[in-house]
Amino acid sequence: MSKAWWVLLLAMGPLAGMSFISSARTYAEVSGLNGSAAGVGEALDPLSGVWAPTFSACELAAVFLLPFVAIGLVAGDRQSGALRLELQQGMTAAARISIKAAVLLAGWMVAMLSPLSAIVLWKTYGGSAYPPELATLTLGHILNAGLTISLAAAMASFTEHHSTAAILTLGFTVGTWILSFFGSIQGGWWERAAGYTPAAMVAQFQRGLVRLDVVLIALILIVTGLGFGSVWMRLGVAVPRRIYESAALGVLAAAAIFASTFLTPCWDTSESRTNSFSEADERALAGIHEPLSIEVHLAQEDPRRVDLESRALSKLRRVIPRVQLRYVAATSIGLFEQSNPGYGEIWYDVGGRKTMSRATTAEAVLEAIYSVAQVKPPVESDDDVFRGHPLAVAPKGAGTLFYIVWPAIFISGGIFLRRRLI
Amino acid sequence: MLFEVRNLCKRFGRIAALSDVSFQVREGEVLGLIGPNGAGKSTLFECLAGVLPCDRGSVECGDKLVRDVLFYVPDGIAPWPSQSVRWALEFTVGFLGGNASFYDELVDQLDLGEILRQPIGTLSKGQRKRALLAIGLLTRQPALLIDEPFEGLDLRQARDIAKALRIHAARGRTLFLSIHQIADAARLCDRFVLLDGGRVRGEGTVEELAALADGSGDLEEVFLALT
Repeated sequence: MSKAWWVLLLAMGPLAGMSFISSARTYAEVSGLNGSAAGVGEALDPLSGVWAPTFSACELAAVFLLPFVAIGLVAGDRQSGALRLELQQGMTAAARISIKAAVLLAGWMVAMLSPLSAIVLWKTYGGSAYPPELATLTLGHILNAGLTISLAAAMASFTEHHSTAAILTLGFTVGTWILSFFGSIQGGWWERAAGYTPAAMVAQFQRGLVRLDVVLIALILIVTGLGFGSVWMRLGVAVPRRIYESAALGVLAAAAIFASTFLTPCWDTSESRTNSFSEADERALAGIHEPLSIEVHLAQEDPRRVDLESRALSKLRRVIPRVQLRYVAATSIGLFEQSNPGYGEIWYDVGGRKTMSRATTAEAVLEAIYSVAQVKPPVESDDDVFRGHPLAVAPKGAGTLFYIVWPAIFISGGIFLRRRLI
Repeated sequence: MLFEVRNLCKRFGRIAALSDVSFQVREGEVLGLIGPNGAGKSTLFECLAGVLPCDRGSVECGDKLVRDVLFYVPDGIAPWPSQSVRWALEFTVGFLGGNASFYDELVDQLDLGEILRQPIGTLSKGQRKRALLAIGLLTRQPALLIDEPFEGLDLRQARDIAKALRIHAARGRTLFLSIHQIADAARLCDRFVLLDGGRVRGEGTVEELAALADGSGDLEEVFLALT
């Protein structure tokens, strides 16, 4: 492995450590440490309070460090001339690049030991860890790393030099951020496409949500990136043929991605059921067989619309995938529509029966749907409510582990391996 | 005949690097590819090895694949720069399917003992050339294409390497060497392919080439007459 990988490993300790220490301190304060109001933290769950921020170190590393490791491994051979020797061995380009991707992914797993070791620390403090949501979070960051590796591999194979490949890779990542921004303003297809960018994908895993379409699209993109890489690594194949093969691969990938967007299965693995209504509500909603349509008179950038989407509609779609949703707005910000008497209304229609509400909370949305569907609301049970896992303990020993022990292990490991290899 | 090159053409935009290049390579011979700078020697080797696409033409190796018949050692590369020479040689044996029984002999012949532990990226030009030659000579293919085998070597090293190449040729290894120093080529090679402006100007022994040039004389005179 390259020097860049050792730098990535070194950086992962302090990066994850800083995130973990800061989030664990906040969690402890909200849980009542140092005289803050005890009980405030009852609704705090470790996933959003500790693990999502701690693992965000992986997101940073995947964007700013991993591309250089991947480019070094893929483009290094080309620049040094080793590729011209290796290509004569007869191994297919696809096998070569897949092996390199597997090595990179294995290297990434080693780097992920840093945030994963925070779980062990957390358990020693007496904290709660819910394996399904942690597995989901880890899966999200592995897929994100896979996307980075395949993108970097593709860019490294298109270009002759490391620097050009790095610029293209970072440019592509910045492009996905622009797409997210554009999607949040424009809505529609832009918003839908923005939902599949790496940042948006990771955000869903951070909430403990596993969506089949997201996982499949990530895998398709990974395979496509590696496919482009293998096509362009075949130096002995004429450029026009490589262009045709890339175009065919691109069309196939686009078709597969488009088909995947229609897949609706998803699983909420969060202990707090962040992405779901209560089980009783889900059973009641599943009992509504007439078509449900909702017309929302809120502009794209109206905070109420964002609230409605995150608190209620995203959960509703998981129970009733065929819900018809229509947004009505003349502008994207809605500022000058406030005086319009119909602005802010949310109309619910079940089998021709209609009702209107302006509230955007999950409870209000459910109430409106039950009312228009003529379904008796389920009795709320105390058992259904997630009470949280407050933990008023300071993160002792985390600084030593992440700022001293982790770098020391990898500096000495790197020196030892270097001496053994030479 | 080990392999035959037929009508190989390669263009870089408007420049014709190779035009209808055809010749034969016989089993066990030391064939010299000679020609002035820019004649297309490296391009020809890269096309033959399949690391550069040719526009037209073919390499015929009977019922074998080209990659099973020839191995190409480029000039001026520093492969796996952070790895040691020993690692590169072991990689050649392990990954490129090289002949492990030649390992110790080659280390001795090419005087690699003292640089075995040194990273390839830190080697001098001559040391790197010797390491590259060792990589090439370790490979299993019956024909070895070496681009400028004496580039960067001093007189003593060049002589030692010529001797080592002769030993491997005597064992039946076919060597196809691109050499721009005519004197070196004349000392080592049995036959020659003379390339100029991307075209084969002649193929054969010194005497056969001299006949083509309508005269007699050494290889240098023939070279000057035909290019």
